[in-house]
Parts: sequence; structure tokens; C-alpha cells
Amino acid sequence: MRFSALCASALVTMGLAASGHAETLIVNSYGGPYETIIRERIIEPFEAKFGIDVVYDAVGSASQDYAKIKATNGRPGFDVVVMTASQSLEGCKEGLLEEFSPDEVPNLVHLSSVIAGVAGPCGAVHEVQYLSLLYRKDKLPEQPNSWNALLDDRLEGKIILPTFQNVMAAYLMEIFSVAHGGDLLDNVDPGFAAMAKLAGQSIGFEQSSSVMETYIKGGEVWAMPFWNGRAQLLVDSGLPVDYVLPKEGSIPLVATLNVPKHAANREAALRFVNFFLEKASQEAWVTGYKVGSVRTDIDVPDDIRARQITTEADLKALLLPDLAAVASRLSAWGERWERDVVAVAK
Amino acid sequence: MAVIAFSTPKEPIHTGLPIKGFLPLTAPSIVLMLFFAIPMGMMIGISFQSQTAGGPTFASYSRFFSNDLVLAGLTRTVVMSGLVAISVTVLAYPLAYYLARSTSRWRTIIFALAIAPELAGVVLRTYGWLIILEDRGFINSALMWTGMISEPLPLSKNLFGVVVGLTHVILPFGVLSLLTSLQGINPNLEKSAQILGASRLDVIRHIILPLSVPGIVSSLLIGFTMAASAYATPALLGGAGFKVMATMVYEQVLFYLDWPFAAVMANVLLILMLTAGFVGSRLESRLHQKLHL
Repeated sequence: MRFSALCASALVTMGLAASGHAETLIVNSYGGPYETIIRERIIEPFEAKFGIDVVYDAVGSASQDYAKIKATNGRPGFDVVVMTASQSLEGCKEGLLEEFSPDEVPNLVHLSSVIAGVAGPCGAVHEVQYLSLLYRKDKLPEQPNSWNALLDDRLEGKIILPTFQNVMAAYLMEIFSVAHGGDLLDNVDPGFAAMAKLAGQSIGFEQSSSVMETYIKGGEVWAMPFWNGRAQLLVDSGLPVDYVLPKEGSIPLVATLNVPKHAANREAALRFVNFFLEKASQEAWVTGYKVGSVRTDIDVPDDIRARQITTEADLKALLLPDLAAVASRLSAWGERWERDVVAVAK
Repeated sequence: MAVIAFSTPKEPIHTGLPIKGFLPLTAPSIVLMLFFAIPMGMMIGISFQSQTAGGPTFASYSRFFSNDLVLAGLTRTVVMSGLVAISVTVLAYPLAYYLARSTSRWRTIIFALAIAPELAGVVLRTYGWLIILEDRGFINSALMWTGMISEPLPLSKNLFGVVVGLTHVILPFGVLSLLTSLQGINPNLEKSAQILGASRLDVIRHIILPLSVPGIVSSLLIGFTMAASAYATPALLGGAGFKVMATMVYEQVLFYLDWPFAAVMANVLLILMLTAGFVGSRLESRLHQKLHL
């Protein structure tokens, strides 16, 4: 009798203890302004709505996070991670990421199929940026409207390029390829030829976007390719800079939410992904982080709509390479970049 | 008269059952097995994997030895590591000798200063050198301000910058290995030689240098292996065109996602360092024999 009473009280105590602790979700993404905005606009409303505690892990870049998922065979210690469409495709092919279905993530049906399909079944596209041409307004009084402006003699020694290990480099080469008569995948000779010319008048290469940023902030660089979301943050900071989507077009950076295959808190992770894709969340994110969305039904102010990708027409105007095909060519392109582009840099 | 003697116990120390003698090795052996041997075995296994489906293959090894860019990276690694090893040893030697012989009250302060760089992280120190060496850095700005140069000197984004940065990072290890060796040399040997008429230079050439060969070899090996495996300093100070094995492994793992090729590179790097260690120990033993030590 006494033993039964002890067991009963232990069970009640355990039950109370369990109910007292909220569910926890570990979200891995970026630090800096991204962290501040995602906490305020997405994480705090999510915690309030579902009573789930979010632990934010800002350690590591998307490629480092993917390497961790691969090394641990889908058990990296976080439940949701922000990566790119390329990593989503690769992780899905390797069986390392959870495949999303509209049953579990209902908001997937609201995403434009133009871009959502690019990331495959394991990537929920929550944000899209495009490669823009960022320039100093105080040095270039006329707004450049073409990528070829980077080849102008006036910009000799005044531009900086990404290293090939920053995906901006491959995309820029592909854009130049299309602009100069080639294509996105098979005939990229014009792209490499243009990049070699560009390297000849650049001051060098930097891998990190945040380091590239310092050059244009300091005025040593007058123009460079840059993701438009980050470019907008620079504009908002009051620097004499602006950015354009050049007339030849641009390739987007498709950012995705992913759930590792063996995430410890799978259900909460799927809820978070769905919550991020809610109309209100996407509106909050687009206006907060100043990026585009693949939910074309969102309501955002006109000034944001004018500069971001928010409509079906904007999405259709983008150059969209087959990311799996790009991934299979990256290694060869990387070697060609070393021989044809880096070799001619000053 | 001083006598150099490498003494060994005349009687072996018996500790009962032979297994007891190995007990102290148990913990380090387990740690090495778990965190070195097994991961190394896995890495060797990965190097024979195919990027696509299929059985074991030598494709990544074949690619390594037929790719001129990769072989250039390997050569660059050897040259860089060799230069760092030499500069660390040359700079550390006089400092270690001073620390070994001095009785000055400044000795402790100088020792602390020699080791102090280790208190800051590698990345922090490398960024420090970047601020000093880059085109718009301290040295170039100062020289251009004084009118001594009109264009920045190429001090960073090249081999020079990386060797300077790595020498600073590895110097304390060189000092420590040489200090241990120099402290083991009986000071009376130098005094005796000088009493018998040897000049200071003769003492250095014929007594100190030969007796400190183990420390010199050790410093060269530490400098070479630490430089060959360094990532942050070559990545930050070397620039886009300066690829060494460590930075290439990083690219293959994180950007190209070609782990088999990365494993091949890492294995070659390991073999390079093992070869350096083997050559170093052979060199040391030959010098010992030649000098009748």
C-alpha cells in the first residue's frame, strides 16, 4: 500500500514537472542584425503563440551547418537551420534532411512555384534576395544600370570581387555569361572572359561578404556585387550608397528553412517552419530584414515592394540556373576561376 | 673538467607484473584511439569513396596527383612551412639562449613577453598583422605619409605576409623547445673552453650549436608541422591566390562538398608531416654520430 502511494506521488510529481517545462526548439541561423530581427519578428511571436522556448544558435555559416549535418548523419544538435536552396537539394539527395509535405507544413501551398520548386522537397523558401550592383553615390553620380558598368575604365582599381568560395562569384560569372551571349550552364566562356577583365581592374578578392562591405564603407571601393538585402541594410544605415537590379537581370539567393532528418524536436521544428511561412510572418520578415518573399500574397509598403522581389512578375524576371547542375560544375568552374580569373588579378 | 654523460639506469626497474608498467598508458591510449586513430581510419576510408555511387576507388588520389593547381598548393605548403620553420628557429635561438643563461631580473619579464603571444588567439593575432601589413595598413600608410613610397608595398596577400604571421604565431613554441635543449647544456663547458683560449664565436660554433642540435631539430619540426597544418593565417593573410593544403581541404569540405577529395588532401598533408618528422629524427641522429655525442 505504502509502495503504491509512493509510486503514485512520484508519477504526479513527474507529470507536474513535465508540464512545468515548456517544449524547447533549437534554431540555428546567423548572428548580427539577422539575429536581432529574427528574434523580434519571428521567434518571440512564435514562442508566445505555441509556448515553445526557442534556443537561438548563431554559430556557423550555412555551409558549416550543412557540414555538421553531414558529419552527424542528420543529428547536428539543432532542429531548424537556415541554409540555401543548393544545400537543401544536396541534403535531400543524401537523405539528411526532412522532406516537407503540405499536410505538416500547410503554408507551403502559398509559396510561388516559380522559386519554391528550386529548393526541392526538403527546403522551405522563407526569403529571397537577388545579386545587386551596390555603388557609392558620392563617387558615381550617374546610377549604373548595367553589370557592364563594372568594366568601365573609371572603376579601375575601384571594385572588389568575391572569391569563388562565396557563391556570389559563380552567380556573377553566370550573369555575365548570359549578358555576353552565353548561357547559365553549358556555354560559360563569355562569363569567364568577362570575369577575367573584371579581375584586371579589381583590387582583389574577399571571401566574406562582411569584409567586402568594409571596402565600400571606407570608400576604397566604389562598386561591387552584393546581395540586395545586405545592400539595403547599408542604405538604411545612412551610408552614401545605393543598389540596383541591372537591366541584364540577376540570380537570386534562395534561403531555406531546413529540418535535419533526425532532429530531436521534429514536431516543433515543423511548426516553426510553418509559422515562418505565415502571411503575417512573411510580411514582418520582409519589412524587417528588407528581403523578398516567395509568398506573393503579402501586403508590404510600396517602397519595399519597389526594391524587393515580392510579385510573380519579379520572380519570373530572375535568371534561374538549375542548382543541381551548378553544384556538379562548381569544382571545374572553381579551377577555371583560379586559372582564368585569379591569375590576372593585380 | 665537465663530462657529458647520457646516463641510463644500470638496473632495470622491476614493477612486478609487466602489465602494471603499461597501466599509466591506458588513459592516453584510449583517448588517442577514440579521438585520433578511429577518426584517422575513417578519413582514410573516406578517401577511397566515390562521389557518386560505387565501390572503393582511387579516383580522388589520381585526381590529386594529376591536378597542377593542387600540386602547386602542395609545393606552396612545403615552401611556406620550410620558411616558417627556419625563421622561427633563427629568431627563437638567441632569445632562448639568453633565457637559458641570463641571471638578470629582466629574464622573467622577457620570458613572459616571449610566451605572451600565445595568450591571444591565432585569428586575433592574424588580424593584427593584417592591420599592419595590408595595402592601407600601418606600415604602408606610414611609408606613404613620409613620402618614402608612392605605391603600397606588397606586404600582405602573399607568401611574405603569411610567413611573417605564422612566424609570430609559432615563435613561442620554438623558444620553448630550444630553451629546454639549451638549459641542458652545462655552462661550465663554455667557461672551460674560454679558459682554454676559445673565442666566443668558437664556443658557439663548436660547443653550443652542436650540443643544441636536438632543440634545433625539434624547433624546425614544430615550426614545419604547425605551419603546414595552419588554416586561419594563410586564409586571412594569403589572399585569394595563396592556396595551401589546409585552405584547400576547407574549401573541399565546406564549399565543394567533395569529402573524398578533401580526405585525400588531408592524408597527403599527414604523410608530408610524418616524412618531415622522420627526416628530422634521422638528421638529428646522424649529426649526433658525426659529432660523437
